[in-house]
This record gives sequence, structure tokens and C-alpha cells, in this order.
Amino acid sequence: MRYFLQRGGWFALTLWAAITLNFLLPRMMPGSPADAAIAKLSQNGPVTEETRRAVEAQLGVPDGSLIQQYVDYLRQILSLDFGVSYAFYPEPVSGLVAQALPYTLVLVGLVTIASFVIGTLLGVLAAWRRGTWMDALPTVGGSFLTTFPYFWTSLLLLFFLGYVAHLFPTFGAFSATTQPGLDWGTVVDAVYHAALPATTMLITSLGGWVLGMRNAMITTLGEDHVTFAEANGIPGRTVALKYAARNAILPNLTGFGMALGGVVGGSILVEQVFGYPGIGFLLFNAVTGQDYPLMQAIFLMITVSVLVANLLVDILYGILDPRTRR
Amino acid sequence: MASAPPLLRRRTLLGGASLAATSLLASGCSLQIRSRPDPTIGPDTMLVAGDKGTPTFTANFNPFHANKRTAASILYEPLIWINPLDGELVPWLAESWDQPDPQRIVLTLREGVSWHDGTPLTGEDVDYTFRMLQDFPANDVAGAWGRIDTLEVDGRTIAITLKSPDSPALPVIGQTVIVPRHLWEGVADPSTWRNEEPVGSGPFQLGTFTALQYTLDRFPGHWQASSIDIEHLVYPAASEELDLVTKGYDWAYAYMSDVENTWMAANDANRYWFPPGGIIGLHPNHDVAPFDDVDVRRGLALALDGRQVAEVAAEGYMDEASQSGLLLPNQEDLLDPSLPERGIIGQDTQAAIAAFEKAGFTYDGTTMRTPEGEPFTFAITTANGYTDWLRAVQEVQRELGAIGIAVDIDAPQPAAYEANLSSGDYQVAVGSSNGSDAFQGFSNLMSGEYYVPVGETSQNNRIRYRSAEADELITRYRASVDEAEQSEILHALQRLFHTDLPVIALYYGGLWGLYNQARFTGWPTAEDPYAPLQTYGSSPLLVLTRLRRAQKEAS
Repeated sequence: MRYFLQRGGWFALTLWAAITLNFLLPRMMPGSPADAAIAKLSQNGPVTEETRRAVEAQLGVPDGSLIQQYVDYLRQILSLDFGVSYAFYPEPVSGLVAQALPYTLVLVGLVTIASFVIGTLLGVLAAWRRGTWMDALPTVGGSFLTTFPYFWTSLLLLFFLGYVAHLFPTFGAFSATTQPGLDWGTVVDAVYHAALPATTMLITSLGGWVLGMRNAMITTLGEDHVTFAEANGIPGRTVALKYAARNAILPNLTGFGMALGGVVGGSILVEQVFGYPGIGFLLFNAVTGQDYPLMQAIFLMITVSVLVANLLVDILYGILDPRTRR
Repeated sequence: MASAPPLLRRRTLLGGASLAATSLLASGCSLQIRSRPDPTIGPDTMLVAGDKGTPTFTANFNPFHANKRTAASILYEPLIWINPLDGELVPWLAESWDQPDPQRIVLTLREGVSWHDGTPLTGEDVDYTFRMLQDFPANDVAGAWGRIDTLEVDGRTIAITLKSPDSPALPVIGQTVIVPRHLWEGVADPSTWRNEEPVGSGPFQLGTFTALQYTLDRFPGHWQASSIDIEHLVYPAASEELDLVTKGYDWAYAYMSDVENTWMAANDANRYWFPPGGIIGLHPNHDVAPFDDVDVRRGLALALDGRQVAEVAAEGYMDEASQSGLLLPNQEDLLDPSLPERGIIGQDTQAAIAAFEKAGFTYDGTTMRTPEGEPFTFAITTANGYTDWLRAVQEVQRELGAIGIAVDIDAPQPAAYEANLSSGDYQVAVGSSNGSDAFQGFSNLMSGEYYVPVGETSQNNRIRYRSAEADELITRYRASVDEAEQSEILHALQRLFHTDLPVIALYYGGLWGLYNQARFTGWPTAEDPYAPLQTYGSSPLLVLTRLRRAQKEAS
């Protein structure tokens, strides 16, 4: 019990620290939201003092002391009201996030789960058949693909399969002429649009799971209980999955929990390259637009979900492995 | 704002990366990207890359918002259309105007103008629009009420009294777009209203809207309907550079690296036209020594080869800028004929060294030393991600290095760059200045009324320049409605700009018009420069009245 209370306490403390940092960090960035808006406007030519005043009036750029702002900020978090976005003025932050979140959750979420499942199974296979081509191919291939940066892979796929071969759409999460709805056509359209970004993320993240699982599994395979099971004539598949893999999966499961927590952050580069309207793209716009309210909401969401995922993994570990409770 | 020149700047790193990949692949592997127009787009429909999704569109058609959809600026119309090339005023909703004295403007509203819903556009709408701007200053983007004292509307006559003798207020007030009173009056706060179903008076009305594309349809009731030959405009959100090249766009506005091998090579009917829209130059901080010394500024100007800087920064598409402060050739008729070489200051290293020596500097053949004997070094501030500016600074750094001046490059993020310039926290910055309205350009840059010391912020006169002569000329110009006198004052301002060098002009920022002449003809060109190819602002209003369908019968 003491272990779980301790975990909970740490969770609360980290959460408070994260929330406070989340308040301070955007304010330490040089330039104000009005400066960012002016920088955007001045792409079209010199901006006059009058225009600057109008922009400042539109944005209602933060005033009051830092402490006053902090108190307001805490109150807003409690009521889940994050105010109006600067970069997308006059859209409310909550609406923008609610719009972008489903795309990210479905795309990045499904890809993370698929990548974990496929990668872990390949890792089991590689460890069980170590030394054969079934080991070499996923291990070497996986680490090779993992070394490619996300954006490079996505640019190559986009360019050759999208722009040169015209096999896949090059922009967005659905066709320009369809109004997104809940019918079969929309789903097919959405899957078609998600194919390239999903492939990118899958092939660049697979290697990590394969390697992690393979290495943990090889250690486990050398343990006495596995040798004992084999000596008893238990079928190889049962030994591999029930005796070895089940024990070896713990580190990968931790990683998976963390990865799931990070899903809400989206994938900035992939979403950017494919024009995918998820949280990653939104975050990019928020940062370049000096959009404090939007940045704070997104960072808070990411921090809280990573912390919650962390807490859940901690608790799960406490249950699965009694040694950690001491 | 309508007179504002858009300047050569690259915005995103990824855009650059993808383009680099394109040109690399296109040249290296002889893989030529060709456009594949959508066959379902009819000959009466124009594909415009005028509005970029982020990555999707939000329906905001409030023409006074910074985040509006681009097309909001042609759904609504201004009183006076201002040519972003040379500042020429063209009657639009106002059919004529008069300035009986420098403190009064009388505009006459056009007859027979109607809103998209059929309601006639009257003086009441004009009256409402200006009252609304007064009540909601956040919407008064051009600052009309900074200049207007009183405004009376009587039928079609709009009589304006200004706060002071201020003849250049005409374009500022005239560019105001008029909105319909009967639909806006009930809105509680027009400064936060998105206006999702816009009803304007422009030649096109909103057709369909989705998060990734919207269309405009020809408005048959428009006062110029007989000149509008295009039935539909399509604005897709997907308008990255690769999309421009491959999707068969008819009209786009973008700076594209190596335009000959990208845009031009993609389709035989693709064309480009890049007239100047502003001056990119070195903006010295006049409150920081030694840049308050005109001999130092002259030394810098003479040490630099503007033609080479233009070549390096803008890939040779733009010319070196004239130190007259004018956009040439757009504003050729305003140029003071007494300026040598049309105001262009060529590179003359010996004269540069002489100018520095006059300011007390010494040059021993390797190092330029300040009067205190220290090696002369300073930092040039530019904005991160504006790659052409960076290339320009690197060339400046190289050329000044040749006469023993060490230049550091400081490239903060664009927001921080803006903050540094406004508050005067810099030594020398790359900046854009001047533009289509020649007088406005001089006054924004040089007027002492905008001067604030370092530490305080101002958007105008960020170089902190003070000159009694400039102030006197600016005041005289404002108090004049006589064209000959105004022209004479403009000549004097050019001479002052040329000799006192408030900024050191390097090269022209371009207006990056890309078009395809297969399906539509009548585009503005260098031979017929009636408007720039901007897809934003009020500019397309005039272009769209001049374009004609190439294939009539096929429709």
C-alpha cells in the first residue's frame, strides 16, 4: 500500500511541477504573440503602428503581473477553459484541440499499437530463430529503417508515391471535396489518406520494438526455467511464447505504456509533411505563432497523459513484479 | 495594407527541404515533375493557390481579421482600389473623390452597387462601416480613425474632415472595405465575429466551403459583371510548392527557388512575373554609434555591391535597389531626374574607405579600426528562416570583410526579430521598407513624430531616425493637395534618402506572381503592368476583371 501511496505522491508533485513549467516556458520565449502576428503580417510588407495596435487589441495580449497570470492560469486549468487562441484568433483553444485530437489518436494511436504488436512478435521470432535469416532480416532491417529520420522517410514516400507515381494523396486527412461524415465512403477516403503517414511511422518505429524484444528474450531464453521446460519436451511454440516471451515482454510493455502516453502529442514532422490536421501540426502552428494558450493546452495534455501512463505502468509493475514494491 | 509589398521570404524549413529534394531529384536523376491538371475542372473554373491551409481551413470571412480566409478581401470591396505596384488610386466603390483642402476628403459613392443578397449598397453601409471601425478599434487595421476627425454621409456623398492637414490620408481611408449594415448591425462584437456566411459586394460570392477547399462563384449582380468572364474560383488548402507544380494551378503566388526548372518546366504554358514590391536593405539603428554618422553609413553603402547581393539573395530574379527609395521601374514617373544613375549607388571600395576615414576610422589594409582604435565589428540582425535575407547578409558579410570589417550574423526567430526591431535592440538589421505608396514609405521610415528612444517600442521609424529636414518635408507634403508641389517634395525626399542614407538599399523584394496562360489570358506582365499577381488583398479584384477564358465554346 505504501508503495502505491508513494507513487501517487510523486505523481502529484511531478504534475504540479509540469503545470508550472508549462506556464513559465512559453513566457520565456523571446517576442510576444503580437510580435509573432506582426512577423506573419509583415510577410506581405511593412506593418504600421496602427495595424500593430489593432492586432494587439484583437489578441488581448496578456497583461497583469506574472503572479496574476499564474493564478488565472491555474483557475483555467481547473475549469478546462484554455481561452482563445492567438494564432487562430478568434477560435477557442478547446475547439481547436477537440478538432485535431481524433485524427492524431486514430492515426498515431493505431500505428503505435500495430508497431508494438508487429515489432514484439518479430522480436520473439528473431530471438527464437536466432542466427537464421529470420533473425537477421528483422534485426538488421529494423535498425536500418529506424536510423532514417521520420521526415526524410516521409518526404521520400510523399515524393515518389504521391507526386511522381500519383498512387496516394499528398495532403490532408480526407479529400478536398468531401464533407467528413460517418459513412463507408468517408472511412475508405480517410484510410487512403492515412496510408502514407501510417507507413512512415510504422517502418521507422518498428525496429525499436524488434530489438528491445529480441534482446530481452535472448536473456530469458538462457534462464533455467526455459531449459527445464525444453527438457520436459514441451512444444517449442509454447516454450517460446508462454515461458520466454511472457517474461521478456516487461521492458517492452513499459516502453509501450510510455509510447501510448505520448500519442496525444502527435507526430509533428509526419503531420507537417503530409498536411495531416492532427495535434502535431497544431502544436507546430502554436509554437511558430507564439500562441501561449494553445501551446499550454497541448503541452499540458501531453504532460498529463505521459504522467498518467507512467503512473499506470508503475502500478502495473508493482502488481506484476513484487520485487519493485520494496 | 493594400499598398503593402510582399517580400521574398521563405517561411518553413520543411517547404525548403521538400523543394530542395525536388530540384535535387529533378536535376540529379533527370526526373522531371510535370503538372497533371484535374480533368474535372472546366474551362470556366480557375484553380487559385491563394490560401494555404494550416493544414485545414477555418471558416473566417471577417475582412478585418488577420486570420481571415484570403478570399474575404475580394468578397468585400474597398472604396478605392490601390495598385500595389505604384500606389495608383483606381475608383472602386467610390466613383470619384475630391480633396478641396488638405484637411478634407469628399468621396462620391458609386450607384447601382448591390450586395450578394440583392440589397442595394448605399451610403448607410459606408456610414455603418466607419462607425463600427470607430467603436471596435481592433477592426480598424489601417488606422482610419487615427486620421479622421468627423465623417458625414449624405446620400452618396461621404464628407470627411481630418484631424490635421493630411492629404496622404486618402489612400489609408480609401482602402477601407465596406460591409453590409443590414447583416452586421445585429452582431454583438464584430471584432470577434467569424462571419462564416459572408455576404459582400465583390464580383464573386462564396460557393461551397469544406475544411480543405472552398469555391467562389461569379456574382451576376455585380456592377462590373460584364467584365467578369470566370464562373468559379477554387481555393484548395493544399498549396505547397510541390502542389503548385503538379496540380495544374492557374494562378499562384509563391517564391519558388529555381523557377525556370520547377514552375516553368512543369507546364509549357506556365509563366512568371516578379516586379519589385519593396526595398530590402540594411536598417542601421541611428541611436547606436557609429551608425548615427552619415559617413559610416555612406562607407557601408559604397562598400557593397547591390547587384551581387541581389544575385546571391534572389537568384538573380530581382535588381539592385535604387537609393531613391522608389520601386523602379514601377514608380519611374516619380523619380527625381537629378539623381545620378537613377539613384543606384554602385560599389566603390576606395570611396568607401575614404568615407570611413572621414568618420575617423583607419584602415591598414587588413583591418578597419574605429576612431578609438578598436577593430570595427558589428552584428546584423535578420529573422530566422528568411533564407534570402540570410543569403543577403552572408554576401554583405563577405563584401565588408574585404575591407576589414567583421560582421556577426544574429538570426532570432521572426517574433523575436520583430520585438528586437520595435524596441531598438539591434545594431544593424535587414529589413524591408518603402513600397507602392512612395510618400508613406518615406514618412513611416523617417518621420520624427514616430521616434521613440531605444527601449520603447514603435512599429514605424524603427531605425530611430531624426532629421529636421525630413520632418519639414513630410509636414509640407501633408499640407499640400497640389500635385506639382507634392512631386517636388517627393523629389526632395528622394535626394535626402540618397544623401543621408537612413537605410542602405540593397535589392528589391519581389511580388512573386506565377500564372498559366493556357486556360485564361489577359494576365498582367512587364509590358502591361496593370496590377501585380498577388492572390491576397484587394489586388485580385482588378486582375479578375481583365482575365478572359481562352476556350469559350468548350464550356
